[in-house]
Amino acid sequence: MEGSSSAIAKKTWELENNILTVEPPDSASDGIFHYDDAAQAKIQQEKPWASDPNYFKRVQISALALLKMVVHARSGGTIEIMGLMQGKTDGDTIIVMDAFALPVEGTETRVNAQADAYEYMVEYSQTNKLAGRLENVVGWYHSHPGYGCWLSGIDVSTQMLNQQYQEPFLAVVIDPTRTVSAGKVEIGAFRTYPEGHKISDDHVSEYQTIPLNKIEDFGVHCKQYYSLDITYFKSSLDSHLLDLLWNKYWVNTLSSSPLLGNGDYVAGQISDLAEKLEQAESQLSHSKFGSLAPAGFQRRKEDESQLAKITRDSAKITVEQVHGLMSQVIKDILFNSSRQSNKPSSDPSDPEPMITS
Amino acid sequence: MTSAGKTSRATSMAPSSSSGLTFKLHPLVMLNISDHFTRVKTQLNPPAASCATGNGSSNADAMLLQNPRVYGCVIGLQSGRTVEIFNSFELLFDPTTDTLDRSFLEKKQELYKKVFPNFYILGWYSTGSEATESDMHIHKALMDINESPIYVLLNPAMNHAQKDLPVTIYESEFHVIDGIPQSIFVHTSYTIETVEAERISVDHVAHLKPSDGGSAATQLAAHLTGIHSAIKMLHSRIKVLYQYLVSMQKGDIPCENSLLRQVSSLLRSLPAAESEQFHENFLMEYNDKLLMSYLAMITNCASNMNEVVDKFNIAYDRNSRRGGRTAFM
Repeated sequence: MEGSSSAIAKKTWELENNILTVEPPDSASDGIFHYDDAAQAKIQQEKPWASDPNYFKRVQISALALLKMVVHARSGGTIEIMGLMQGKTDGDTIIVMDAFALPVEGTETRVNAQADAYEYMVEYSQTNKLAGRLENVVGWYHSHPGYGCWLSGIDVSTQMLNQQYQEPFLAVVIDPTRTVSAGKVEIGAFRTYPEGHKISDDHVSEYQTIPLNKIEDFGVHCKQYYSLDITYFKSSLDSHLLDLLWNKYWVNTLSSSPLLGNGDYVAGQISDLAEKLEQAESQLSHSKFGSLAPAGFQRRKEDESQLAKITRDSAKITVEQVHGLMSQVIKDILFNSSRQSNKPSSDPSDPEPMITS
Repeated sequence: MTSAGKTSRATSMAPSSSSGLTFKLHPLVMLNISDHFTRVKTQLNPPAASCATGNGSSNADAMLLQNPRVYGCVIGLQSGRTVEIFNSFELLFDPTTDTLDRSFLEKKQELYKKVFPNFYILGWYSTGSEATESDMHIHKALMDINESPIYVLLNPAMNHAQKDLPVTIYESEFHVIDGIPQSIFVHTSYTIETVEAERISVDHVAHLKPSDGGSAATQLAAHLTGIHSAIKMLHSRIKVLYQYLVSMQKGDIPCENSLLRQVSSLLRSLPAAESEQFHENFLMEYNDKLLMSYLAMITNCASNMNEVVDKFNIAYDRNSRRGGRTAFM
C-alpha cells in the first residue's frame, strides 16, 4: 500500500535522474575492507603514477571517513582544520578508509605546522597498526569554511611537495559551512600536476562560487591541479545500521533548520555578491566607451561572462534559501495549523506573503 | 514511542537502570564500531581464502572467525545528568589475562586529548549479542578512569526482521542477588543525537544522493524526498498511537494512565509555536526569502538583457570599419 507507492515514486525519480543503483553491499563485497599487505607493497614498488600525472582518476571514500572529516570540519567553526586520511590504492582509484584529525591550528603558515603534526601522525599510525588498522596514510584533508572546495596557493605548494615525497598522496578539501547551508556535502578531491606541466586549454573544471577576496588566489593556481571523482562506499553492517538508524533519525531530518544556523554565512554571501556586481558594473560602463575599438569585443565578452557568473551565484544562493524556507513552511503547516481553532478569521494554511509594517 | 518498549524488555541479567542519566549517542560512534568489526572480520577471513580451512576447523572456531569480538573505548562529554557519546577508538584485548591493554589505552587517550581536549573517557564498547560475565571484569578495570563507566554493545548479526538499532547501553549497578551484593549490568535507554553536519553526511551516505550539483530540479527533488520520508514516518507513528488509543477506548487493551498522560501532554504542546512574535518573525523570514528570489530574478533578467544588447550591437554595429557589416541590415 504505502510501501509500494513510495517504491514506485522512488524508481521514477531514480530513472529521471539516471541514478545508478548501487546494490546494497552484502558480506561478499566487504572485501574492500581487506588490507592486502603484499599487493600494496608491490604497487609501491611499481609506482605507475610516476609516468602519468593524470594517473589517479577516482576516489572512493568510506562512510566512516566522510563522517569523521565532516564532523571535524564543522567542529572547527570558521577556523580551518586539517587531518590525515588512511587507505590504499587500487588501480587508478585511491581508497580512503579512515581519517583522523591533527592537532594543529589552521593558519596561513600551514607548511610549518606539518612538521609538528608528523610526530602525532607517527605515533597515531603506530598505535593504529597495533589495533588492527593496517592501512598507510594516503592523503590529507583540510577545510575551507565558507569559501568553497579548491586549493589555495599554499595548499598547491604543500600538495606538490607531498606528491614528490609521499606518493601516492591525495588532497581533500571540505567546506562545512556550505554543507550545512546547501544540505549536501561539499567536498573536493585534488591532485596537483608536477611543476611546469601544462594542461590542455579545453579542460573545463566545474564552476564554483568563490568569494571576492579569494578569487585571485583561486584564479592563479586553478590550472595547477585537477579534481578527481568521488564515490562513497559502506560495509554491509554500516548500511544495515544506517537503515535502522532512520527509525530514529527522521525526527532530526524534520526538525533541522538550516536557515537559522547559517544566517551570517548567507549575509556574507549576499554582500560579496553585491561587491562583485559593483565591480562588473564599473567594467561594463568602461566598455561602453571602448566599444569603438575592436579590442572592445574581447573585454565585453569577459564582462558578459562575469555577469553570467554573478547570476549563477545568486541563483544558487537563492535556491538554497528557498529550500530552507520550504522546510520551515512545511513544519509550520504540520505543527501549527491547529491555530485555526483560535483564529478563525485568518486562513491557516497560507501565510500572507506581504506584511505591511 | 519505542522507549516504553525498551524499558519493559528485561532479561534476567539486565533490568532497567535507575541512575536517571540520559544518554545521547552520535551515529559516528556506531559507524566506528561497525567499521572496526568489519575490518577485523575481513582480515581474518580474506576474500581469496580457500574453503578448505573452513572444513578443517571446528564449529566453535568457525563461529569465532565469523564474528570476532572487538573492543574499544568511547569518549564524550558529561554535563549534569546528560551523557553525550561523541566518538570512539579501538583498544587491544589481551585474551590471556582477559583484560584490555592498559598502556595502549593511555597512549591513545593522550593522542585523542590533543585533538579533542574536551572529551574524556566515558566507557568502553564491544560487539556481541549480549553482555557476558567476563565483560564485568573489563568494566571494573575501567572504573578507576571513570567511576561509572558505560558499556556499549553492538550486535553485528544482521537480523533484517529487527526494527530497532542493535545497540544497547549498559551501566553497572550494585544489586543484592541471593543475599550477595554484586554489580550487574543494567539497561539504559538512549537517544540518537546529532549535529546538522553529521546528519547531512549520514543522509548522504545512507541514501547515496546525487553528490555533485545536478540540476536545480534534482536538488529540489532530493531535498523534498528527504522531508517526505520523514513526514511519512511521522504519519505512521501517529497512526500507531491512534490505533492504540482506539483499542484502549474499545477496551481491548487495559488502560495505561502514564501513557495516556504522555499522549495528552504531547497533544497539548501543539501548536508548537503560536506567539505573535513567532508569527512576525516567520513572516519576516518569508518576505526576506521572497525578496531574495526577486533580486535573483532581476539579476538574471539584467544579465540576459545585457547579452541581448551586446549581440544586437555586434550584429547591427554601424560604426565599425569592417566592410560588409551593413549588409546585415
